[in-house]
Amino acid sequence: MKKRLDEIVEEAITALNTFEDHHDLMNLKSRFVGKKSELMGFMKKLGSLPKEERPIFGQTINNAKNKILDKFNEIEEKLKNLEYEKKIASNKVDFSMPGRPPLRGNLHPLTQIWREIEDIFISMGFEVAEGFDIEDEFHNFDALNTPKDHPSRNLADTFYIGNDRLLRTQTSTVQIRVMENFEPPIKIISPGRCYRNDKPDASHSPAFHQVEALVVGEGVTFADLRDTLNGFVVKMFGSKIRSRFRPHFFPFTEPSAEIDIACVNCGGKGCNVCKHSGWLEMGGAGMVDPNVLDNLGIDSEKYTGFAFGLGIDRITMLKYNIPDIRLLFENDLRFLKQFK
Amino acid sequence: MNISYQWLKDYIEFDFTPEQLQDKLTFAGIEVEQVTKLGKELEQIKIAKIIEREKHPNADKLSICKVDDGTDIKQVVCGAPNCDAGKLVAYAPIGTKFPEFTIKKAKLRGVVSFGMLCSEKELGLSDNHDGIMELSEDAPIGKDLAAYYDFKDTVYEVEITPNRPDLLGLTGVARDLSALLNTNLKLPRISFKESEKETNSFLKIDNQNPEKCLRYTARIITDIKVKESPEWLKRRLMASEINTINNVVDITNFVLMETGHPLHAFDYDKVSGHEIIIRNAKKGEKLLALNDKEYILDEHDLVIADAEKPIALAGIIGGKNSCVDSNTKNIVIESANFLYSTVRKTSRRLKIFTDAGYNFERGMSSEQTRIASDRAAQLLLENVGGSLLKNILDNYPVKEEKAKIKIRTERVEKILSVKIPAEKIAEYMTALGLELIEKTDKDLTFLAPYNRKDLTREIDLIEEIIRLYGYNNIPSKKEHKPIMDRKKFYLKRNIKDYLVNNGFNEVINWSFGNPEDVEKLKLNFADKDFVKIKNPMWSTFSIMRPSLIPDLMKNAEHNINHNQKNVKIFELAKCFNLSDKGIEEDYFCTGLLIGDQADIYWKDKTGKVNFYDVKGLVIGLLEIAKYGKLTLETSKDEIYIPGVNANIILNKQKIGSFGEIDPKIAEQYSIKESAFIFEININKMMEFGRIKKIKFKEIPKAPFVNRDLSFIVPNSYSVGELTSCMLGINRNLIRDVILFDEYKGKGISDGFRSLSFNLTIGTGTKNLTDENLNNLFDKIIKELKKKFQIEMR
Repeated sequence: MKKRLDEIVEEAITALNTFEDHHDLMNLKSRFVGKKSELMGFMKKLGSLPKEERPIFGQTINNAKNKILDKFNEIEEKLKNLEYEKKIASNKVDFSMPGRPPLRGNLHPLTQIWREIEDIFISMGFEVAEGFDIEDEFHNFDALNTPKDHPSRNLADTFYIGNDRLLRTQTSTVQIRVMENFEPPIKIISPGRCYRNDKPDASHSPAFHQVEALVVGEGVTFADLRDTLNGFVVKMFGSKIRSRFRPHFFPFTEPSAEIDIACVNCGGKGCNVCKHSGWLEMGGAGMVDPNVLDNLGIDSEKYTGFAFGLGIDRITMLKYNIPDIRLLFENDLRFLKQFK
Repeated sequence: MNISYQWLKDYIEFDFTPEQLQDKLTFAGIEVEQVTKLGKELEQIKIAKIIEREKHPNADKLSICKVDDGTDIKQVVCGAPNCDAGKLVAYAPIGTKFPEFTIKKAKLRGVVSFGMLCSEKELGLSDNHDGIMELSEDAPIGKDLAAYYDFKDTVYEVEITPNRPDLLGLTGVARDLSALLNTNLKLPRISFKESEKETNSFLKIDNQNPEKCLRYTARIITDIKVKESPEWLKRRLMASEINTINNVVDITNFVLMETGHPLHAFDYDKVSGHEIIIRNAKKGEKLLALNDKEYILDEHDLVIADAEKPIALAGIIGGKNSCVDSNTKNIVIESANFLYSTVRKTSRRLKIFTDAGYNFERGMSSEQTRIASDRAAQLLLENVGGSLLKNILDNYPVKEEKAKIKIRTERVEKILSVKIPAEKIAEYMTALGLELIEKTDKDLTFLAPYNRKDLTREIDLIEEIIRLYGYNNIPSKKEHKPIMDRKKFYLKRNIKDYLVNNGFNEVINWSFGNPEDVEKLKLNFADKDFVKIKNPMWSTFSIMRPSLIPDLMKNAEHNINHNQKNVKIFELAKCFNLSDKGIEEDYFCTGLLIGDQADIYWKDKTGKVNFYDVKGLVIGLLEIAKYGKLTLETSKDEIYIPGVNANIILNKQKIGSFGEIDPKIAEQYSIKESAFIFEININKMMEFGRIKKIKFKEIPKAPFVNRDLSFIVPNSYSVGELTSCMLGINRNLIRDVILFDEYKGKGISDGFRSLSFNLTIGTGTKNLTDENLNNLFDKIIKELKKKFQIEMR
C-alpha cells in the first residue's frame, strides 16, 4: 500500500505540473484528494486494519495527502499571480485619451479683473458700495463741484433720461451718497458701470466700468493717497510696476492729479502699448475738495479725504493685452473661452 | 486653587452673597471654573443616639442598631465595630443624597435597614474610615451636622493666570478685590514673643548657591506638642481640599493658603550637625521624600541638606528623614525663596508636583518669606505652644528691589479713550499696594509691591487701571454702520460661480435696449414701462433695457452664425423699469441654453438640453442662495411654448420664470434648435425669499434602506402629487421619494405612463424588519390605488 501511495503522489504532482487553467486545477484536486479519490478510499479502509497498525497507516496516508495539497497550494498561488498580472496588463489605460470634460464655463474677463480689484481693496480694509446707474444732476455734477456750464453736462457728452435724470458719468455719485448717509471714517470703493455719449471705437465705449475709492477721516493726507494707490498697483500689476502723479484738474478734488503707472508691457522702456512713453495713464486722483465735504455737512477742518478713480475695462485690456474695448461686449464665445 | 468664601471673609470686608462674589472674582480677572457648596450633604445628616445594639442573626460583622434621631426610633443595620449603644453618631436617613449615591430603604442579609450610620470619610470630614463617626456626649440629638459644626461654605475653584503669583494667596486675592470693590482690607496683625535664647547658637545656615537660593530664613520653636489640629483649622483646610496631617504641618499649609508663600517644617533633632546647607545635589544622591518615593538626584537639583545628607528638595518636597511626627519636640521653620527655573526643572524631571513647587515655579518674592515666617511663628505659638528662639536666621544675599514705574496721564487716555484724573490713578494704584513717590502735572511715578512682579512697565499699570475701572465701563466710541451690502455682494458672486461651474459662460452687454426687440420676443412690457433715453446714440438704443433676454438672444445669434452651436450663456446685470414707484433698477440673472448638455466625450453620448436641465439648474441656484422652498406655477409669458414653462414662486411672489422658447420666436434670431431660458430677479428673490436656517441634525444611528416602487398611472396625475402622497403616508419613516424612471409607449395604454420611484426608508434609531417594510409598502400601494388608480407593473 505504501508503494501505491507514493505512486499516487507522484502521479498527482506530475498532473499538477501540467495543469491548464483554474478549472483544470479544481478537477485535479478532486481527483486526487476528493471524497471519491483512491487516497480517500485508503482512508475508508483504515477501519478494517488491526488497531495497532491504524495510526501508522493513517499517518502515511495523511502525509501523502499533505504532499499533494502543498503542491496544489503552490500551483494555485502561482496561478493567482498569473491571473493578476494578466488583468493588470489588460487594464492599462491610454492616458492620452480625453478625460470626461467637467461642466465648466468661465467668468467674463471683465468680471475676473473686477473681482481682483474688489478683493485687493477689501484686503486693504475698504468696503464696497453700490449706487444707481440712473442719477440726478445733483449727485452727478453739482455735489461734485462741477460748474453749471461745464461742457461735460452737454447732451453730446451725457445721456439724459427725461429732464433731470441722467446716466451717471462716473461712480463718484456713490461717494456723494455715502457721504450723505454715513459719518467719517469712511473707506469705500465703488465699482460700477458708467455712461458717456462716446461713439464706440477701439478705446471708447458708451458704457464702461470704473472703480472709485474714497477715504474720509481725521488725519487723511496726500501721503495716504499715494500709499494706497501704490499698494493697489503693486498688488494688481506686480512689485516692479512704479506709479507717478501728474498735476491735473478735477472739480471734485484739490489738489488733483493724474495717475500714471509704468507700462506693464515693456516695464517703462517704451513700446507700442505705451506709445513709447514708458507710462500708461490709469486715472485721476486727489484730495477731496473742502467745498465738497462742507456741502455734505462734513466738517472739512476736522476731516480730510482723498479719492481716485480707475478704469476697470482699461485694466482688463492691459492685463490680457486686449487691443479693442469692443471685444469685451461682443460676447463671442471664441473670445470668452480664452479666459478660462 | 480653591478659594473658600468664609475664609476670604477673614481678610476683607464685604457683604456679597457667594453668587455675587463669584461675579466679582470673574471681573477681577480670576476665572471661576467651578463652584462647590459645602455643608449641603451635612445638612441632611442628623445627630442620633444608639439606644440598642443587637447582633445580626445572619452575619457576623453586622449589627442591628436602634437609633433615636430626636423624632423617631429607627432600625439601622451597621457594619462598623464601634456602633455601641449609648454613643452619639451621625445618622443619614432614607433619602440622603451623597455625590455618588442616595440612601434607600434596604434589606441587609434579610434585615431591613432604614438609613446609614456614617464614618468621617463618608461625610468628607476626614480620611478616617475605621468606624462610624463618634460625636461628643453633649451633641444635641436631632440637630443636623452642618448646623452643629457651623460648616457652611462656598468654594470657588479658580484659575490664576501665570502672571499673577500674588493671587496664589488669599491675602493677595483680598487685596485685589478690595481695590476693585473699594472696601477695607483686613490683613492679619502679627505679633509674638521670642525667648531669651538665640537661634544662631542652635542652628547654622550655609547657603552655597545664592544664585538659586535667593533667600533662606529659619526659626526654631522648642518644646512643642504635635497633635491633631483644632477644629477651625481643620475646617479651613478641608474647604480648600488640603489634607490635615498634624497641627504643625497644617499651620504651614494654612500660611501657604493665606500668603501664597510655601513653608516647610523640619524636626530639629533630626537635622544632623544642627546645620542647614543649601547646595546642589551630588550626582546619584538619594532622597526618600514625604510621599514615600525615593528620588535619585543629580547636580542640577537644589537640596536642603544637613551635615550628612539631603533633607529636602528645595521648594518642592521635604524628606522623610527630617519630617515632623508625633514625637517631634523641636522644629525648624523654613521660609525661603528659590529660583523659579530651578524648581521647575527639578519638579519636571522627577515628576513631583506639589503646591509648593507650583507656587515657586511662578516666581515668589523674597520679601514675602519674612511675612510668611512671622505669621507661621505667631500661629504656631498660639496653637501648638512651645517657645520661639530669639532672632530669625536670615540669609539674603541680594535684596530685592521694587520696580519704579512712571505713568503718563495722557498715555492712559490714548490707550483707554477715557480720561482718568491723576488723583483717581493714584487711588487705584494705592489700593493695589503701589506706592506713589513722585507726581508732576503730566505723570505719576510708583513703586510696585514686591509680589507684583508682573508690573514693570507703564502699560502694565494701564491694564490695572482698566481692570479696576471696568472693561465694560469704557464707552463705545462709534457704532460701526456697515456701508457695504455684503449679503447682496456675495450672493451675486456665488450665483455667477455656480453658473460657471455648471458650464455657463458669462456675457456682458451694454445696458441699452430697443423696444422692437421687446415686441419681437413678446416680453411683458408696454411702452409706459420703458426708461427712455432723451438723447440716444442710435434709435436702436433708445431705452434702458428692461430685460436681459434680447441681448442674450443676440449673443446666441452671433455665436450660432459663427458656428458656435452649443450656447450656454448667462448675464447678471441691472434691468430698468418705470413703475408707479419711479425708476427701478433691479439685478436680473438670465441664462440661455441651446444644443448639447455637455461637451463631446468619447465614452458617453451627450443629450440635448431639455426642460428638466433648466429646472434642476434653477432649483440649484436657489439652493446656493440658501433660499427655502420655491413653488412652480404655469407661466403665461408668451415667449415660452405653452406647457413647457414655469413661473418661479417664492412665498407667493413671482421672482422669475423658465421654459422653452417658442420656436417661432427663436427662429427670428437664427435659432433652429430647442432653446431654453431662465430669468430670475435677484432683488425680488432677496425681498421675498427667506434665508434657510441650517441646523445640524443627528446622524441616524441605524442606516436608512432603499426600495423601488413601479406602477402605471393615468397622465392626469403629476409626479409632484404622487410624491407628496407617498411622503405623507408616514413622515417619520419615509425620508425621501425620488423618481428614477418614466416610460410611455409600447405596452402602456395611451393616456397612461409608467413611473418608478426610489424610496428611502428608516427610523434612524432601529433597523426595520422585512415585515415592517412589507406592511409599509402594502399601505403605500393601497393608498396610491385609492387616490390615483395606479396599477402595479
